Amino acid sequence: MTRITIGQFYPTNSVIHRLDPRVKLLGTIFYITALLFANHFAGYGIAVLFIAALVKISKVPPRLLFRGLRAILFILVFAASINLFLTPGENILVQFGFLRITIEGVILAIQMILRLVLLVLGSTILTLTTSPIQLTDGIESLLSPLKRLKVPSHDIAMMMTIALRFIPTLADETEKIIKAQKARGADFDTGSLTKRAKSLIPILVPLFVSAFKRADELATAMEARCYRGDINRTKMKQMKIIRTDIFAMNILIFFCIIMILTRWI
Amino acid sequence: MIKSEKLTFKYEAFEDVDAAAALCGIDIEIESGEFVAILGHNGSGKSTLARHLNALLAPTEGTLWVGGLDTKEPANTWEIRQSTGMVFQNPDNQIIATIVEEDVAFGPENLGVSSGEIRERVDETLSLVGMSEYADFAPHHLSGGQKQRVAIAGVLAMRPGCIVLDEPSAMLDPSGRHEVMETITRLNRESGITIILITHFMEEAACANRVVVMDAGKIVMDDVPPKIFANVQRMKELGLGVPKVTELAFELRKRSVLIRQDIITVDEFVSEFAGVGADVIFREQRAGCESLTSHLAIDVGEREKSTEAEIILELKNVSHIYNANSVFEKIALSDISLQITKGEIVAVIGHTGSGKSTLIQHFNALLKPSSGEVFVDGANIHANKKLLKDIRQRVGLVFQYPEHQLFEATVYKDVAFGPTRMGLSEKEIEQQAIDALEAVGFPQEFYDKSPFELSGGQKRRAAIAGVLAMRPEVLVLDEPAAGLDPRGKEEIFAQIKKMHKALGITVILVSHSMDDAARLANRVVVMNKGCMVCDGTPSGIFAQGEFLQKIGLDTPQISQLMTRLNKIDPKIPSRIFTIEAAADVLAAVQL
Repeated sequence: MTRITIGQFYPTNSVIHRLDPRVKLLGTIFYITALLFANHFAGYGIAVLFIAALVKISKVPPRLLFRGLRAILFILVFAASINLFLTPGENILVQFGFLRITIEGVILAIQMILRLVLLVLGSTILTLTTSPIQLTDGIESLLSPLKRLKVPSHDIAMMMTIALRFIPTLADETEKIIKAQKARGADFDTGSLTKRAKSLIPILVPLFVSAFKRADELATAMEARCYRGDINRTKMKQMKIIRTDIFAMNILIFFCIIMILTRWI
Repeated sequence: MIKSEKLTFKYEAFEDVDAAAALCGIDIEIESGEFVAILGHNGSGKSTLARHLNALLAPTEGTLWVGGLDTKEPANTWEIRQSTGMVFQNPDNQIIATIVEEDVAFGPENLGVSSGEIRERVDETLSLVGMSEYADFAPHHLSGGQKQRVAIAGVLAMRPGCIVLDEPSAMLDPSGRHEVMETITRLNRESGITIILITHFMEEAACANRVVVMDAGKIVMDDVPPKIFANVQRMKELGLGVPKVTELAFELRKRSVLIRQDIITVDEFVSEFAGVGADVIFREQRAGCESLTSHLAIDVGEREKSTEAEIILELKNVSHIYNANSVFEKIALSDISLQITKGEIVAVIGHTGSGKSTLIQHFNALLKPSSGEVFVDGANIHANKKLLKDIRQRVGLVFQYPEHQLFEATVYKDVAFGPTRMGLSEKEIEQQAIDALEAVGFPQEFYDKSPFELSGGQKRRAAIAGVLAMRPEVLVLDEPAAGLDPRGKEEIFAQIKKMHKALGITVILVSHSMDDAARLANRVVVMNKGCMVCDGTPSGIFAQGEFLQKIGLDTPQISQLMTRLNKIDPKIPSRIFTIEAAADVLAAVQL
C-alpha cells in the first residue's frame, strides 16, 4: 500500500511537462470549450490530430492514456447506444420493432464517442504531465484573483495539498485496522447487507479517531512552524511564465479559433 | 536563551481532572548552546513545558522568556516560534507537503523569506541532516528515522537558535534512533544549536550535558547526567530508569565492589573497570576463573531440543511476495521454516522492513504464503476455509499500538467483541471478557469507561485483553511496549510474564528492542531482509554484537559491555545480557 501513487503523474522531461501548470490548466479549459464547438468530422479530425501531436511531444506512453478511457467505457457504450437507437432520421439502416438504426444515428453516435474520448484524453494529458503539487499551485494561483470576492484560494490549495499528503498514510492505516479487527474475529465478507454495513463500524470508528488526532497534531506542528494562512507568505518555487508558455498559449488560441471556424466550413 | 520564573500552567477544560499534566512553579534557565534532556514519566508535564517554549501554550501564571521575549505577549509569538523550533513524536503528523524539499521550505515560506534564499536554506539544511539525495521523495516512501530528519531540517530552515524535540525517537527502530541522535548531537556540537530533548530513553539522555527530571509538574532534579543517574533508587521511584551500565554499577556496589556510581556509558564502564580492576583480576586470577567457568557452563548457544515438547505452530518453507508479477514485486519473506513449541516465549527481532510483521501475519492466516505451508497444532491452516475463524481464535495477534483499534463505547464491550464474534453464549462471553481483563491487570472500576478516557498504558492493556478474551493458545504481540514510558513498559512486560505463567500460553513477541527481548524471551529469532538469520538462545545471539549491528540491530547495553570487557580480559564471558548475571560475574572477578 505504501507504493500507492496519487493521480497518475508520469514523470519524464518533456516540453509539456515543463510548461507552467497555469498554462496547462487554462489550456485544458480552452481545449474542452473548443471541442464543444465541433459539429462535424472536420472539427473532430483536427482535434484528433492535435491530441496525437500532444501525446507525441509529451513522451507519455499512449497505453497510459487509454487506461484512463477504461474507466468511462460504460458511459461511452451507454451514450453511443442512446444516440444509435433513438435518433430519428430518414435513412433507416436496420429496424427491430420500435428500435431502429438510422444513418443520422450512426453519425451522431460516432461523434458522441469521439467527443467523450477526446475530452478524457485531453484532461488525462494534463494529469499525466503535471504533478499533484504543481496542479494545486496552479489552481491556487488561478483562483487568486477571486480573493477579492472572499474566495479562500490559498486555504483551498493548502487543503488539497494536505489531502494528497495523507491519502497514502490513511490508506495504510485502514489496511492495518482491517487486519487487526480480522484478527479479533471480525468478518467483513459474509452476511446480509445491513450486517456487512454494521461490520464496518470497527473500522470506521478507529479510522475517524485517528484522522482527528492526526489533524490535531498536524495543526499544532504547522502552527509551531509559524503557519498563519497566506499572510506575508512566500513560495520557494515561483511560477514564471516563460517564452515556451506564451508560445504554447498562442498555439492553443490558434487551435480554438480553427475549431470554431470549422462550424462554417 | 530560555528563562522562566514561577511558570505555572493549568489546562482549563480539565482543571480538576487532569491537574497532573499541568506545570506548577517552574524555574529554569537554559543557556544558549546547551544540550538539555528532560526526563519524566507520562503526565509529568514535560510536553506541556515543551509547548510553552514554542509559545504554543502561554503560562497561566509566572513568566517565560525565550531569547528575552515574553511568551505571554501575542506580538512575540512568531519571533519565538522562529527562534525555538519544535519537532514532535509522530513523524507522519508533522510533514505537511507531498515532497521532502517542499516540506522543508514550509517554515521559511511562512516567514516570508525570499524564494532564492529559501532554495539555499533548503539545500543547506537537507545536507546538514544528510537527506540531500531524498529532496524530491514523497514522505511516505521514507523510513521513520528519515522522516524525523526531514522534520528536523524543516525546523532548521527557519534558522532557530534552539530546537525542542518532544520524544522524537519514540516511534523509531534502533537505526532510526541512531540517525536522529547522531543528527542532533552533531547540530549541537558543530552548529552550536541549543537542544532540548524530551525522551524516555535513558541512554539518549546520557548524551546530553544536562538532565532535568520532572515529576507532577515540578522540576525535581537538574544536574549533569552522571550525577542524575547516580541516584538509581530515586530515579526508579520517579517511574524512570537509568542506563543499564549505571544500574550494573549500582548492583556491583551492592555487592561491595568499589566502582564509581556515576558511570553512564559503556566506554566509561570499560575504562573504569579495566583501569581499577586490571591488576585485581590478575592477582585474583584463580578465584575469578572458577566462578567464571560456572557461568560459562550455563551458556549453550544452541537451544536444547526436547523431543517430547508439543509443536503448536509450524512454518514449512514459507515465502511471501508482495505484488507478485508486477513492477513493485517485493520478496518479503523467503523460505522460512520455523517450529514453535507450546509454552515458549519467542522473541522475533529485526529492524523495520526485515519481514517480521509479514511473518507474524502468517501465523493466523491474515496473509497467505506465496509458497510453503503453515500448520497450527498439526493442521494446515489454508487447507480449509472454514478453519479460518478457528485459527484466528487459537492464534491471537495483537498489532502494534493496539489501542488505535478500540472502537466500542465501553472497555468491557470492546473486550467482548472477539468472544461475541465467536458466537458464544452471553455467559461465556462475560466470563471470557472478565477473565481477560483480569489477566492483563485492568482495574475493575474502569470496565464501563469509554476506552478513549483511559491513559496510554491502560488503553494498551484493554486492547491486549480484547485479543486475550478469545482464549488463544498462542499470543503474538507486535511491539507491545512501543511508545510507553519506562514505568508503562515495566508494567506491560511484567504482565506478559505473569500471563504466560498463569495461562500457560505460548507467547511470540515481536520487537526491535534487544533489551525487551532480553527481558522476557527464552528463544530469539532474528529476521533480516525477509530471511531468518539466527535462531537460538538470547545469550548466544546477543554475543553476535557485530553481526547484529551490521543488520541494523542493537545489542543490549550489558551485552555490549561484556563483549568489550571480554576483549580486554578473555576470562570475562561475553554471553551475558542481564544485569544480575553481569553483576555476579564482575563481582566475582573483582573479589
